[in-house]
Amino acid sequence: MGFIMDGLDAEEYDRQYSDWQLVKRILGYFKPHLWKMIVVGLVVFLSSVMDLILPVVVSQALDQLQFTPETFDPIGTAIILGIAASAGWVANMVRQWLSAEAVGDVTLDLREDAFNAVTERDMSFYDQYPTGKVVSRVLSDTQAFSETVRLSINLMSRLLLVVLLIIYLFTVNVNMTWILMAIIPFIMYTALKFRTVARRTVTNSRRQLATVNAHIQESISGIGVAKAFRREQMIYDEFKTVNQESYEVEKINGFVFGSIFPILVTIAGLGVAAVVWFGINMAQQGVLTAGQWFLFIQGMGMIWFPLTSISSFWSQFQLGLAAGERVFALIDAEAVVKQKADDRVPAVKGEIEFVNMDFHYITGEPVLQGFSLKIPPGETLALVGHTGSGKSSIAKLINRFYEYQSGDLLIDGQDIRYFNLSSYRSQLGVVTQTPFLFDGTVMENIRYGKPEASDQEVTDIAYKVGRGDWLVSLQEGLDTQVGERGGNLSMGQRQLVAIARVLLQDPAIFILDEATASVDPLTETLIQEGLDTLMGNRTSIVIAHRLSTIRHADRIIVLDQGEIIESGTHDQLMLAGGHYANLYDSYFRHQSLEYIERMAG
Amino acid sequence: MVHKSEFTIEGLREYNRSSAVRWIMSHCFEHKLYFFVGLVGFALTYIAFSGARVMFGRGAELIIEGGDAGAVIAVSLAVLILSVSDGLFSLMGSMAMVILSTRVERDSRHELYASLLGKSQTFHDQQRVGDIMARATDDVRQLNFVIHPGIMFMFDMVLGFAVPMAYIAAINLELLLVPIIFVISYVIVVRRYMRRLEPVMMQQRMQYGTLSARLEETISGIEIVKVAAQEIEERKKFRRNAWKYRDFFVQQGKIEAAYLPLLMFGIAFGFFFLHCLHMHERGILGIGDIIAVAGLMQVLSFPVFISLFSISMIQLGIAGARRILELIEQRSDIDENLAGYSAAVEGAIEFDNVTFKFHGSTVLENVSFTVEPGQTVAIVGQTGSGKSTLTQLVSRTYDVDDGRVMIDGVDVRDWNLDRLRSQMGKIEQDIFLFSRSIAENISFGVENATQEQIENAAREAQAHDFILSFNEGYQSEIGERGVMLSGGQRQRLALARAFLRQPRILILDDSTSAIDSATEDEIQKAMRRAQEGRTTILITHRLSQIRWADRIIVLENGRAIANGSHEELLGSSEHYRRIFARYGAVETPVGQLAAGGGA
Repeated sequence: MGFIMDGLDAEEYDRQYSDWQLVKRILGYFKPHLWKMIVVGLVVFLSSVMDLILPVVVSQALDQLQFTPETFDPIGTAIILGIAASAGWVANMVRQWLSAEAVGDVTLDLREDAFNAVTERDMSFYDQYPTGKVVSRVLSDTQAFSETVRLSINLMSRLLLVVLLIIYLFTVNVNMTWILMAIIPFIMYTALKFRTVARRTVTNSRRQLATVNAHIQESISGIGVAKAFRREQMIYDEFKTVNQESYEVEKINGFVFGSIFPILVTIAGLGVAAVVWFGINMAQQGVLTAGQWFLFIQGMGMIWFPLTSISSFWSQFQLGLAAGERVFALIDAEAVVKQKADDRVPAVKGEIEFVNMDFHYITGEPVLQGFSLKIPPGETLALVGHTGSGKSSIAKLINRFYEYQSGDLLIDGQDIRYFNLSSYRSQLGVVTQTPFLFDGTVMENIRYGKPEASDQEVTDIAYKVGRGDWLVSLQEGLDTQVGERGGNLSMGQRQLVAIARVLLQDPAIFILDEATASVDPLTETLIQEGLDTLMGNRTSIVIAHRLSTIRHADRIIVLDQGEIIESGTHDQLMLAGGHYANLYDSYFRHQSLEYIERMAG
Repeated sequence: MVHKSEFTIEGLREYNRSSAVRWIMSHCFEHKLYFFVGLVGFALTYIAFSGARVMFGRGAELIIEGGDAGAVIAVSLAVLILSVSDGLFSLMGSMAMVILSTRVERDSRHELYASLLGKSQTFHDQQRVGDIMARATDDVRQLNFVIHPGIMFMFDMVLGFAVPMAYIAAINLELLLVPIIFVISYVIVVRRYMRRLEPVMMQQRMQYGTLSARLEETISGIEIVKVAAQEIEERKKFRRNAWKYRDFFVQQGKIEAAYLPLLMFGIAFGFFFLHCLHMHERGILGIGDIIAVAGLMQVLSFPVFISLFSISMIQLGIAGARRILELIEQRSDIDENLAGYSAAVEGAIEFDNVTFKFHGSTVLENVSFTVEPGQTVAIVGQTGSGKSTLTQLVSRTYDVDDGRVMIDGVDVRDWNLDRLRSQMGKIEQDIFLFSRSIAENISFGVENATQEQIENAAREAQAHDFILSFNEGYQSEIGERGVMLSGGQRQRLALARAFLRQPRILILDDSTSAIDSATEDEIQKAMRRAQEGRTTILITHRLSQIRWADRIIVLENGRAIANGSHEELLGSSEHYRRIFARYGAVETPVGQLAAGGGA
């Protein structure tokens, strides 16, 4: 029941297209399949005509049998019936065949366009919109769109049959046709009314089902606790209540959906009875033959079902358009990061300079104001500060994930806005807080940033991280499958893979957003050793959460509301006893050996 | 066969579980009345519907041969009554099926749930929650669809052929010739069609899954994609996957396009009509009868259309039923050992040369150590080194393959399982709290705990202060609708929950991390309090906890490579030394630390 529409949240980048714009754009996708669509149109017409021929031939045969039996040719009639059925079937086959191809191709094109758009969006886009919603636009919305197209073609052929039938019936007997058509408004009204009711009960039943599922989810997840504490009976009683409630709601929903066809059948039955009554009377007056009368009865059977579908078609069609609109909005969303040129970047030395920069995510809420900072090549710089102090923004700007409003960001003295981003970013290495791995082997993941690296190269690099000790705990070494999002590996192992990945890429600039989650002490040691290797001789910017990292940094910058309030090495800043010393007490004290030793039992 | 169960419910019905189909049927027969009403309803529907076709024949005779107004009214009225009863009977049948199907859904969900509650903890530890969820929700849902509209369509299939053919036979037996040939060839062709379509449909669904998973992966990892400048590669991958899906889509469309039974019906109708005409020539069949049987023959086209849908629906449902049954029928391999050793636990633990294999691979190998009552032992090792498994052997979630695990000198396999487990507390890595109030969570398992007891437990676990910081204090709801808790807070609530029960042996899997030092102080205090006066097995990332444990066991790939106190290990373990070396290497002068202030 696709016509029951869920509340779809609109996103900021959504825009209104006029129906005409939409239709024009959709037609644009069908343009390469123009001849197919023309053939589809022709065969739709052909199959409707053939579907119509069947009852007409039967009715005329009956008349001939009654009035001119001597000239009647039964075999010829049967052959015509057979040919009409075969031709109709073939036409139908051609239609489905071609439209499956055309719709398949159009959906594919649309999906590719959507996906290309996805890869072009800025990071700000992804910070704003959750993955699931973007995925749903690229897949579900395109799917909904193609369903609608298929449905439209299907319905078009049914509608055409109804129209042809009614036109033909008018030539047979005008009054009888009006009687037949009198039933149409009743059917349409019932079908429309049904949709309103169904929408309500479906919403209720979904909600109730969600409650039951939530209950099962929670009690099964927590069954260990329930068992340990012997509270099965309580949970069971609650389940029984929720399950019974769900049954009541589900039953009503079932009643609504189960009643629609019987009701429509009853209405159509009233129509048939009317046709029978009026028909026999007219026939007895000599205005209608028995064959024609039978044709009208069959006609009733042929129109009521398509009419039911037509009454729900318009909303279907609008859903399809809306789905198309969402996909187009994704494709058309404007980039925020705008490059002024596309210059290829030669080998970067690693000098970074912020000059008098203003930056904000939301107008009126400045993150950086008149920010200046020069990072010489090869320096390890630790950024510390409370949440919202601007640490991550600095890293994101160096990645060129966001557009700044004024000032300059210079890499080796060159304006970042003139770079070809692909060639620039390939000289950046990033390890995020929760490193992301792609489904595949550890080897493939390390190689991700440098696809041309040989197995030997990857292996060598892997052994450079934490002296290779981490590989021992991988079941199949570098050939271990990491699973979806690296799920087969522990958080610490994922970080080690990410470190190896960057080490292989050998970038001039390394950006690390340190993990806050804890890792077992052995792995932690390996990670720290890996990071030492990585930060050795390249410009490194670290959003620091680990005491050992800031201690190793060449320079620590303390940020507060986008301003540098202190700067120096760990020892210098501790001696000064200022902001850094406070931060140390709040965030880093418990990582010190002193603390470990003092926390005696 | 009597199932072992940890929790039984009085008066629960028994169903036939010998096969999926029998199981569904035994559920249906619980509600025989509705099944019967449904069957009768649909039979009457077809009788009325087909009866109306026969009346058309009578009507045609009235036109051709003439008849009085009374006869016309009689025929018209008969059509009216038959048509309306057609609708009403199908309404009746449909309602009965709705009740039947929703009841079967309710009952089977109930049955599954009760059986899950009765299963041992071992069973639950071995099952993935996601898998159980899928069966309890999607598969149970599918059962509903099997009956409504699945079985309903089956009725249509049988009655839609049988009833009109019976009418045809009543008019003239000879006319059954073409319908019978048609039905036989139809059954053959449809089965072949299904066999062709099914794999394509399945592949298409799977490819959609792949496409969606890959897409989600790319978008989740977009930062890495961009930083590694791999956009073009990713586009190519997406294109490949989207193409494959497109191919299956088109393939399905082509198979559906060539649905032969429709053509067969068209041709059969031609032959049938020819047969009628031939019999008319022979003077056996009047025009009225031709109209009647032509109408009846057309009824046969309905099952032809519907079969596409119904067969695959029922197949899906049976597959779902099979999966549910599998879950219900699974037994746990550890018995409760009701006659076993039953005593108050002192808390001595001994691993005697323990080896444990899981799915054929060795997880623990020749592990030996002893823990005195009241001691704390810390297990150190990388993920996958066997730390959690080691604790699961203590609580007898699994049994060892070789060697012995002993509590107070008695092999855990000789203990009464319930008695043993009830004296153990376990705080898992993923702490589970129910979506209830904080007070209910702490007192979970201790019926009629007083507010005072709850608060005392919370205080001991260093949870009292943060609980009071919530607007509704102890009555605050946990979860989506209420307060969201940090990992450290969850851990402390779990500790409070355990304190109320006072276990003799505490297994603490601690992987929470505190971002700030103040929270760390609280957690440390709570954990130390937890270790007081009971034997504790500790899996932790906290160096201070490891540092001060009575005994430390370093695991690597299932082997205890080091075992001893902190000082001993600094001397004997290279790994252990390496961990602490990082901290010792950059010693901060004591004078500077003073700036950091006290605890």
